[in-house]
This record gives sequence, C-alpha cells and structure tokens, in this order.
Amino acid sequence: MNPVLLFLIGVGVVCGITTFLALLVTLAEAFIANYGEVKITINKEKEITVEGGKPLLTSLKEKQIFIPSACGGRGSCGLCKCKVIKGAGDFLPTELPWLSEDEKKEGIRLSCQLKVKTDFEIEIPEELFNVKQYETQVSSLRNLTHDIKEVTLELLEPDIITFKAGQFIQFEVPEYELSDEPVYRAYSVSSAPSDKGNVELEIRLVPNGICTTYVHKFLKEGDKVAINGPYGEFFLRDTNADIIFIAGGSGMAPIKAILLDMAEKGVSRKARYFFGARSKKDLFLTDKMKELENKLPDFRFIPALSQPKPEDRWEGASGLITDVVERNLESGENKEAYLCGSPGMIDACVKVLTKNGVLEEKIYYDKFG
Amino acid sequence: MKQTPEMDNIQFAMRPGAICRDGFLGTDTRKLIDILIADDADVKRLGLSHARIAEKMRHFRNQGIKGLGEFISVPPHFEVRVDSVRGKLPCPFDHPGIIPKTNTTVKNLETGKEITYTDLNIHMIGAHGFYEGKGACFRLEPARLTSVLEIAQEE
Amino acid sequence: MSEKAGLFAIFFSAVFTQNILLTYYLGMCSFLAVSRQVKTSLGLGMAVVFVMTFTSGLNWLVFYHILEPLELQYLRFIVFIVVIAAFVQIVEMIIERASDALYAALGIFLPLITVNCAILGVSLFMIIREQGFWESVAYGFGSGVGWMLAILAMAGIRQKMARSRVPGGLEGAGITLVIAGIMALAFMGLSGVI
Repeated sequence: MNPVLLFLIGVGVVCGITTFLALLVTLAEAFIANYGEVKITINKEKEITVEGGKPLLTSLKEKQIFIPSACGGRGSCGLCKCKVIKGAGDFLPTELPWLSEDEKKEGIRLSCQLKVKTDFEIEIPEELFNVKQYETQVSSLRNLTHDIKEVTLELLEPDIITFKAGQFIQFEVPEYELSDEPVYRAYSVSSAPSDKGNVELEIRLVPNGICTTYVHKFLKEGDKVAINGPYGEFFLRDTNADIIFIAGGSGMAPIKAILLDMAEKGVSRKARYFFGARSKKDLFLTDKMKELENKLPDFRFIPALSQPKPEDRWEGASGLITDVVERNLESGENKEAYLCGSPGMIDACVKVLTKNGVLEEKIYYDKFG
Repeated sequence: MKQTPEMDNIQFAMRPGAICRDGFLGTDTRKLIDILIADDADVKRLGLSHARIAEKMRHFRNQGIKGLGEFISVPPHFEVRVDSVRGKLPCPFDHPGIIPKTNTTVKNLETGKEITYTDLNIHMIGAHGFYEGKGACFRLEPARLTSVLEIAQEE
Repeated sequence: MSEKAGLFAIFFSAVFTQNILLTYYLGMCSFLAVSRQVKTSLGLGMAVVFVMTFTSGLNWLVFYHILEPLELQYLRFIVFIVVIAAFVQIVEMIIERASDALYAALGIFLPLITVNCAILGVSLFMIIREQGFWESVAYGFGSGVGWMLAILAMAGIRQKMARSRVPGGLEGAGITLVIAGIMALAFMGLSGVI
C-alpha cells in the first residue's frame, strides 16, 4: 500500500481510538462522577444547597457552618461527629473506629469522611450556629515576656463577636514561607466579652510550631487574619461559690477574660488566682492584675516561682504550684476551681484540690491536651 | 524502592508546614519505606524491638510528668523534664487519634548525655517504627537513643 | 466439552505453570512495593484480576475487529495502553459512585496498575498465541489469579519474616527479590503437571 496512505491511516486510527476513549471518559466523568447539587436540611428548619460529592464537613464550612475539627478533615481527631438522620450510606472503614454502637444506632457520622452524594437531613447543636468565620486585622502586637506575644485583632467582617469569657477561637495560619496549606490552631480569648469589636490573644512561641513561628516571626500590624469561633465549655458558672483560678504562662488568657468580665459585671465573689512560673522573667501583666485587685471586692493574684533566680530577689510564694496552692487554700466549704494548663499540671492540681475539700464536679478545666 | 500510594500520602503529610513547621523528614532524600526498613534493621541489630524502645521512652515521660515542667530525678541515675503546650497533632501515618504536644528531656547523669523527644515520637516509634528522617529536628538515632536511655537487650 | 476443558487448562496453566509474575517476571514493581501486608496485597490482587480479565477481552475485540481488518496490527502497543487506561479510569469512577466501602478497599489501587506491565503483557501474549475470545478472557482471568496468588504468598512470607534479622544491605528490595526467585523455582516444579 502507498506508504503515505498507510501512515495517515495509522495515525488516524490511533487518534480516532484515543479521541473516542477520551470522549467516553469525559462523558463518564460528567454523568457518573458528577453528583450535581444536593440539599442539606439542618435541625428541620435551615436548608442549604451545596455541590454534591464533597465531605459533609467541607460542604457545611462553605456555607459558614463550622463543625469543630482539630485535624483538618483527615479522620484523625474524631471531633467532627454529626447526627445524620437521612441520606447517608454505609459506614466507611475510616469512621468505624470513632463510633460506639449507640452512636451508630443514632446515625452519628464522622462528617469529614462522609461524602454528600444525595439530599441530607442532619441535626447539629444550636451553639454551633453562633460559630462564625471572621475576617480581622492585627491592630497591635506586644511582647509580654521573651516568648509570649499579645496579639490584638480588630474584627472587620463581621465586626462584632459574641462569646463567653473563657472560650477560645481558631486562628488560621495562611500559606506562608514555611507552610504550604492553611493550618488552624486554638487560642483562648484574653479580652473581655464586652469588647465586641476586638479579640485579644496570648500566644507563646513553641519550638517547631507552625502557627507560633508565624505569629512571632512573620505577623505584622495591619496583616489580615482569618479566625473562627467561639468554641469551648470553659467559662465562669453563675453561682456564688468562692473561686480558685490556677494557670501559668499563656494559660492566663482565659482567666484574664473572666476576671475582666467579673469586674465589669460587679461580681463580688471571693477569688484567688495562683499563677505558676519559673522565674521573675516569666511574670507578666502584674500591673493589670493589681488593677483587678483594686476593682474587685475580694480578689488576690498570687504568683509562685518554682526556680527564682538570686537576682530576682523574690519575696513572694515559691515552689511548685501544687505546693503553693495547698499552703494557701483558705477554709470555706463552697468552692469552685478553674484550671488552665497542661494535663500533668491539671491532674496534679485536681488531686490537691480534692484532697482539700473541693468537689471534683466543681473543678472546671481547659486542658491543653 | 517503590512504595504504595498510601505511603506516598504519608510521606507527603510529613513535609514541612503540614503537621509541624519543619516536618519529619529533615534533609533525608530517601523514600519513607527505605527509611523505615533501614531503621528497622538497625534496631534488630541492636537486639531490640520498637515496642521495647517506646515502652522505655514512655516510662521516662510518665515519671517526668510529676515534675510539672521542672527536672525531677528518676532512678537509677536520670533527670527528666516534661512540658506541654496546648493542642494535639495528628499522626502522619493516617489513622485515627491525635497526640498531645508534650516534650520529654532525659539527662543521663552517668554519661552526661541528654536526649529530647515528643509524645508523637513515642507513638511513631512504638506503632510504626519511625524515628524521623536524618536531619529532622527530632530525629532519634536508634543507637544514640538506646544508649542514653540505657535500654537493655531482650533476653 | 473439550472446549470447556481447554479453557480450564488455559486458566490452570496461567495460574501455575506460566505465572505472569513468577515465570515471566512481569508486574514486579507493584509486587515489591505492596507485598508488605496481606490486607493491601489482597486489595491490589483483586484489582489486578478484575482489570486483567476485562482488558484482555476488550483488547481482543479491538485487535481483531479494528486493527486487523485495517492491517494496523503494529499499533497494538499504543492502542492497548490507551484502552487499559480509559477502562481503569471509568471503572474507578463507577466504583467510587456505587460504593464508598468498595472504593476504599479496591479503588485506590486502580491508578497504580494502569501502567503495570503485567496487564499489557497479558494482552500482548494473547495475540502472540492467537487465542480465541473466550480463551483470551480465561487467560486474562488466570493470569490475574496467578499474580494475586504470588503477591499473597509473598505478603504472607514477609509478614512472617518481620521478626527475622536480615543481613545488612539485603533489607527491603534485596531479600524480597531473593524470595521471589525461590518462589519462581518452586513454581517451575509444577511445569510437569500440564
């Protein structure tokens, strides 16, 4: 056969077959892999329409409904559980480790793994509707100690936030020099809830930390920051019990918010705040604490240094925080305790408190872990 | 050596900025599977197992926690300090569970050597035999780790 | 009746005496990479069986009904690869839609085997042997099962070996290839059966 004709037929057939198959795959993609738009009904009242095929967590987030997550949707933390009444298929192998038999019967699913392929009906706690995404701007950065920075964010859109003193927000670290995807880290709000247009945070530099390195080395005044919240069950209970606060380092943040709130609302309960630190250079905001001592009728700030340096000439309490608390616990039956710190510190303090008459159910904590 | 797509994903999760700032692989250019195989062989040559190493690491961590962030003596001749920060990290090996951010520093008073490791290290060694890539900030050479902590061979 | 026996003989020889992996040494890279655990090996093995069976049938049709009439048999290398790739792509989409559980077990391996030389090898061999349609499908199915058998056996051996001390330098790929060689010798012993 004519070589040119043969060449053309050969090329033609290969192109023809490849084009035909490519068309077939494209059509398959359009019909089989495309789920169209689906409807999600929340708590029987709110209805949202989303693009099908994505995980429930992502679809809800796109519509400004934030289900808590600590691992970014990889199925590692188990916090994003959600009750799905209608629409979900079989349980995925990645969900099963997190669900008990009762949860499975109730229809609880792991929303970061479950894909929305058809109309869904779900139920979420009402408080989650108060969680919003905020666009903010850094209005001030101040060093409180050598490794703790005070960051004040001015809310831009929405411009007011409603939260309880003691709650936390999630800070979004954008892509930057050292990280190629957004990462979220939780920080307690240290400003008073009455200051609705601002959110103040205390952030401690952590070795090898994605967010704290960003905040300490890259963040500047005027930078835009995305946050969402508020979250958390750590806030002052409305009783008239005496209060014991125990928190060191950046654990002061939620306590400070609670104290400021107490001062504004004229709460007259007896309160003692035991602040544990290593040496004098780890103390900060002592003048703010003095101010609060003056404003509140019965509040004392008791800093305790575990390793005071000779040049500190320290005359205050010294030793491990648990020993200082034990020595200074005043008598009185009706007590509540609010603790913020590492699991080790909290466990040790809980032991000391319960040994000295504080009921375990009256001890509230914001465990770091 | 070629590795499964799952292991490719795990290696991708270990890059800097994904879970922690500097990642888990440091300057190591090997594939994850090769790192695991090489360290596994080293540990076997020391006559030990990953589980035993993780158990000793955990022992020091649990003893050290009582110090509430300060150095505390642990018999026979060690000093240990354990401190934590807020939050938990997922393990790059893509399975359920997040791990607290806790650092343990162990000082061997007899040899004068010290070593620092995280809770995530304890988990990754015990469950996955992963000691981090060479050059990573928390890379633990099995030989050095077992010598500082004085982990004895199994009978 | 003899045709059925013929098909069974083809299947049997494809699994044991002419094992695509242990006799012809095709499909080694994913074999070495995945055979650390029995569970993942089973998933990959099933994916290989599925793809090999269907692509050998599809490629037979394409070869004898499109390429041969137009005397373009030499194009089979390119055309077979493209057919395999498209098939795998569409099947992955169907599985993802139909069942998330099946997708988690099997679907993630499909892209891995698109360029597995064993899949292409089976399609090319059936042309060389001038087999009929059902014979080719039986051959594809048998080769897939043989491949799966080999990887499951390897995974079982490697899991048992997890506590053994391997001589320095032979860890990983080295010792695996040595084991593969020993397994191939064992399978050679079956060649007298058929």
